[in-house]
Amino acid sequence: MGYRSRPPTFAIPSDFLLPSQHIAMRIIVSFFLLASFSSISLGDTLKAFPASLSIRGVDDAPQLLITRVTQDREKDGTADASYAIADPTICRIDQTGRVFPLANGKTTITATLAGGRIEIPVTVSSLETPRPINFANQIEPILTKLSCNSGGCHGKIQGQNGFRLSLLGFDPELDYMTLLKESRGRRLMPSAPDQSLLLAKATGKVPHGGGKKLEPDSEEYKVLRRWIATGMPYGQETDPTIEKISVHPESRVIDKQGRQQLVVVAHYSDGSSEDVTRRTQFESNETEIASVDGAGLVRTLSMTGQAAIMVRFSGQVSVFRALVPRAQAQPFTFASKNLVDELTSRKWRELGLAPSAECNDETFIRRVYLDITGTLPTTDAVRSFVADRTGDKRDRLVDRLVETPEYAYYFANKWADILRVKRRNQAGRATGTFAFHNWIRDAMANDMPYDQFVREIICATGDEIKSPPTVWYKEVATPENFVDDLSQVFLGQRMACANCHHHPYEKWSQDDYWGLAAFYGRVGKKQLATPGTATNNQNRLQFVYVRSNGSVTNKRTNQTAPLKPLDADPLTVDGTEDPRALLADWMASPDNPFFARAVANRYWAHFFGRGIVDPIDDLRVTNPPSNPELLDALAKSIVDQKFSLKSFVKLICKSRTYSLSAEPNESNQADKQSFARYYPKRLSAEVVFDAVCQVTGSPSQFGGLPTDAFAPRRAIMLPDESFTSYFLDVFGRPQRISACECERVNEASLAMTLHMLNSQEVQDKIARAGGRADELAKAKRTDEEKIEDVFLSAIGKKPTAAQLSMAKAHLAKHEKDKKQAYENIVWALLNTKAFLFNQ
Amino acid sequence: MLKIPGNSQGTFCDGLTRRNFLQIGAFGAGLTLADAMRSNAAAPSANTRSRSLKSAIFIYLPGGPSHLDMYDLKPDAPKEIRGEFKPIATNVPGVQICEHFPKQAKMWDKLSVVRSLTSVNEHSDSLVMTGYPDRVNTLAGHPSFGAVVSKLRAAASGSVPPYVSLRGMSRGSEPGYLGVAHRPFTPSGPGNANLKLARGVTGERLDMRKSLLESFDDTRREIDASGTMDGIDSYTERALDMVTSGAVREALNLSNEDPKVRDRYKGLESFLTARRLIEAGVGFVTLSIGGWDTHGKNFDTLRKQLPKVDQAVSNLIQDLHDRGLANDVVTVMWGEFGRTPKINGNAGRDHWAPAMSALVAGGGLKMGQAVGATTANGERPKDSPYSVPQVLSTLYHAIGVDPSQTFPNGSGRPMYILDEREPVKELL
Repeated sequence: MGYRSRPPTFAIPSDFLLPSQHIAMRIIVSFFLLASFSSISLGDTLKAFPASLSIRGVDDAPQLLITRVTQDREKDGTADASYAIADPTICRIDQTGRVFPLANGKTTITATLAGGRIEIPVTVSSLETPRPINFANQIEPILTKLSCNSGGCHGKIQGQNGFRLSLLGFDPELDYMTLLKESRGRRLMPSAPDQSLLLAKATGKVPHGGGKKLEPDSEEYKVLRRWIATGMPYGQETDPTIEKISVHPESRVIDKQGRQQLVVVAHYSDGSSEDVTRRTQFESNETEIASVDGAGLVRTLSMTGQAAIMVRFSGQVSVFRALVPRAQAQPFTFASKNLVDELTSRKWRELGLAPSAECNDETFIRRVYLDITGTLPTTDAVRSFVADRTGDKRDRLVDRLVETPEYAYYFANKWADILRVKRRNQAGRATGTFAFHNWIRDAMANDMPYDQFVREIICATGDEIKSPPTVWYKEVATPENFVDDLSQVFLGQRMACANCHHHPYEKWSQDDYWGLAAFYGRVGKKQLATPGTATNNQNRLQFVYVRSNGSVTNKRTNQTAPLKPLDADPLTVDGTEDPRALLADWMASPDNPFFARAVANRYWAHFFGRGIVDPIDDLRVTNPPSNPELLDALAKSIVDQKFSLKSFVKLICKSRTYSLSAEPNESNQADKQSFARYYPKRLSAEVVFDAVCQVTGSPSQFGGLPTDAFAPRRAIMLPDESFTSYFLDVFGRPQRISACECERVNEASLAMTLHMLNSQEVQDKIARAGGRADELAKAKRTDEEKIEDVFLSAIGKKPTAAQLSMAKAHLAKHEKDKKQAYENIVWALLNTKAFLFNQ
Repeated sequence: MLKIPGNSQGTFCDGLTRRNFLQIGAFGAGLTLADAMRSNAAAPSANTRSRSLKSAIFIYLPGGPSHLDMYDLKPDAPKEIRGEFKPIATNVPGVQICEHFPKQAKMWDKLSVVRSLTSVNEHSDSLVMTGYPDRVNTLAGHPSFGAVVSKLRAAASGSVPPYVSLRGMSRGSEPGYLGVAHRPFTPSGPGNANLKLARGVTGERLDMRKSLLESFDDTRREIDASGTMDGIDSYTERALDMVTSGAVREALNLSNEDPKVRDRYKGLESFLTARRLIEAGVGFVTLSIGGWDTHGKNFDTLRKQLPKVDQAVSNLIQDLHDRGLANDVVTVMWGEFGRTPKINGNAGRDHWAPAMSALVAGGGLKMGQAVGATTANGERPKDSPYSVPQVLSTLYHAIGVDPSQTFPNGSGRPMYILDEREPVKELL
């Protein structure tokens, strides 16, 4: 490091516990004494974190946390406590609980609150000794906290007005050079630190496009100034590097309108640690439930629920979880049917919510048909299910539905979206996409174990016809595609950020990214021409094989990337091995922290409309599950059931939680994440399309598919994305551009509503000769029976008395043209929310 | 769609037609509920548009119009470069344009050109519509300018689609990661057909259907905390309103326009349609005049093309001024790239991405200018070089959209509308 300034050496007092003389400004936090309890029996018990403080250097001002322990709860008392300092010349404490050193020496802080009392020993030292600063550990976090290096400012790839920093400070060496050498050295001036452009701009003394970011009397300013004044040291090779951060507490139950101070501690490679609370960035994922300020003070608002506070410092992340219960817990009884119910009901009790009642049979059969088979139950199916008096009929229905061909088609469609079975309107690719879709459908029908399913895709070799999963490698054409799709689909990790820079909300670095990419290194591809066709790429079959060597270059280091799964040790392969097989082994091992959880969450979201982690493929540390124990138990169940997806579907659909009504009660009205009721879901594009065909009795034909009696006539059966349908597009069918289920749009849209209300396509289906309206007009049954039939068919329930009389009046008024009258009734039903939603 | 005679009409030098490659005539029309809820704006009824919301018109000249023969003439260059056309003075001293643009020359105080642009050699509208070239967008899916307007303006658009394409679908009109809901309304496909009552349905019958629907639709929308049910209710009302009142259909019906005005736009009707749509409250309209891939007979072709462009542009801009919309509507006209300074053996000019011009008008930008300059032979920018995204950034600023906003793509990465977004400062 030729450009590093060597700082002057300082004499460090030898009575310090710290192993390295280059560590500046550390507190020694007594983690072995997380809490020392007060011995006084009157009033509440108090706990302090840290239990004792050791302050080194003038910049060190750690956060003290005082916690009240009352019955079964712990409550932040930091701001409410009264503090007394035995020797007020040694240190002072402000009302936020922050302790500032005043003189070297020892003293004791006594905190009292609600009759409780606790003493915290304090040692202050090294105030007179200037400490060398480490750029990466001390300066870079300031630039990050002030958002100098954010993506909107100097962190963007072109920089801002000629000054570019690495995004969120992930490349300290580059930033150091930039600050020191560019702009003719005017950014940092050790001879007149306050004249440095860095400080003059940030304080607004010199016009700054980004405005005033820094107060001249702030702590950050003092540190930056001292760093410049001491000759801008980079630090020593031997300086410790950050290994992780921890946040205290990690989770807490907080009342509405309550608060909780956080303490963030950085842990270094030499075993030392320091308070970095004020240098850390905080962000709440549910700002309606809890907000957080720059000092790490969390405030809960007036909503019940859970929030996660992301904590980020120097490339490391952690999370604090807040649970805000209802003020008055709603008592309830709930008979658990399986592990799902045990863990959901535990969460409801924590939150003080009560679950909705169970739904009725009409609702249940429509719900489970739509969720498992993507198909509406017929009128007869609804009638006979309701009439069935056996106690286990719901479970038996679930067992039966997972064995239907529709189950296999519906879930094949789901997987084909994210495996990107995509023809791109090229006729020559249909062989491959049809074969791959067939293969997925067979895997679903035969309940191929999920680990095997994934292994056969990842490790695929051969041509598109004999080995259909190789078609995955059509869209996955580069090492980068491989990492992005594989991590998002199978591991629930969005790695794409780490392609170019350290992931901003995760611990993943570029080395992690390229470590995964390395497994692609030996993938070989050949294009086989089809005899007798034009020799363009469209008419070639792809053949995937394993090369005997080959590697991927890490974009950051420009070196060969070692094979390294996430959070695992590097692997090696010999000349005959396929690295992808080792990756598959790692993924499918029972203790893999990502694999089973990712699929469990994905399937849960399919049935409940929201993942336990949301978004479903973003299982990062800083986006915690709304019910961690539930997700763990589901993942374990998948592994225990040998990765049988059908068993997993049964587990979910047979739970009592799944059969709750969508009608909220007073306590769970605002609930969006604890599944205390069923959340209605808009039917997806293909399902609505098929449902319209079924209700109107007007099946559809898709161009390019066979026309015989066994041909796929339903949208859920389409093998790839290249079947033209304005209907499907406008209802949000994905184009399979990305490996994200979020590409499918299930929101309401004006174009969609307009199409259902007034398109020729839907009108023609309603009015088709021989269609439902025609059939109803001609049938001999009573109007009453026929109206009931069409209601059951479309929305799965009988008309109310008012609706029945309205419909009858309408029919009576149009005695001469009953077909038109029935058309109007069908039209009205297709446009109800009861039809468009699964509820 | 305009029909202008010319041997390369509609196709490019490689013989492929790219316009309308997706003939689905999508009516994404924006307006998904989440957008509506986020923007917090009450939807005004049709035909009333808050003038605080500005609009944009993108005129696309597919094929790559010759910068040297339109807005960046080089009369002092050698004969094999300067070509057959002479410059004429405009009503702004110091600015000269082609002799075939007399109408624009008389109103240059209402126009500006940026001469110092560089582009990419792609027959695609991707760069000028999204700010990113086709090769990037194949994978990245950056949204069209119109899709961004749709995303941000959905709620304020009432029953008028925020984004209309009068030239079908193309790579550059796709919404990419903003989602299919933000595809343009194209008044040719099913989306348009849905504005007219379906065959077999009369207004009276639709009324009967509505009353049945009111009775049957008894699901309480409060049971859906996501708000989608709420959205369906409000869209049902707005969609029925679109079918029965038909603000958009009215705008598209040019027979409502004064015959004298229609005469002025003869053969250029899509410009009139664009103006009427903007008046009805559409946020973004794109249209085109084809026939610019002049590898041969460059000057013969342009002699027919340029007067049309002159007529169309001068009419449109003058109309916007006459209606007091000059500052509320920003207009841009450009193609994929410029053309080779050196004239080839077929009296043509070939593709030339290192230099390109863009005509800009209105939107409160500084008019009456020629920004930047190319080298003596028009080969590349000499003064104030700018990129296409920088012009787009300027246009976003003009309509009050911050191009440094981000939207998440499919992998959750926050994507800036534009990565390169220093505006063209001479225009501000």
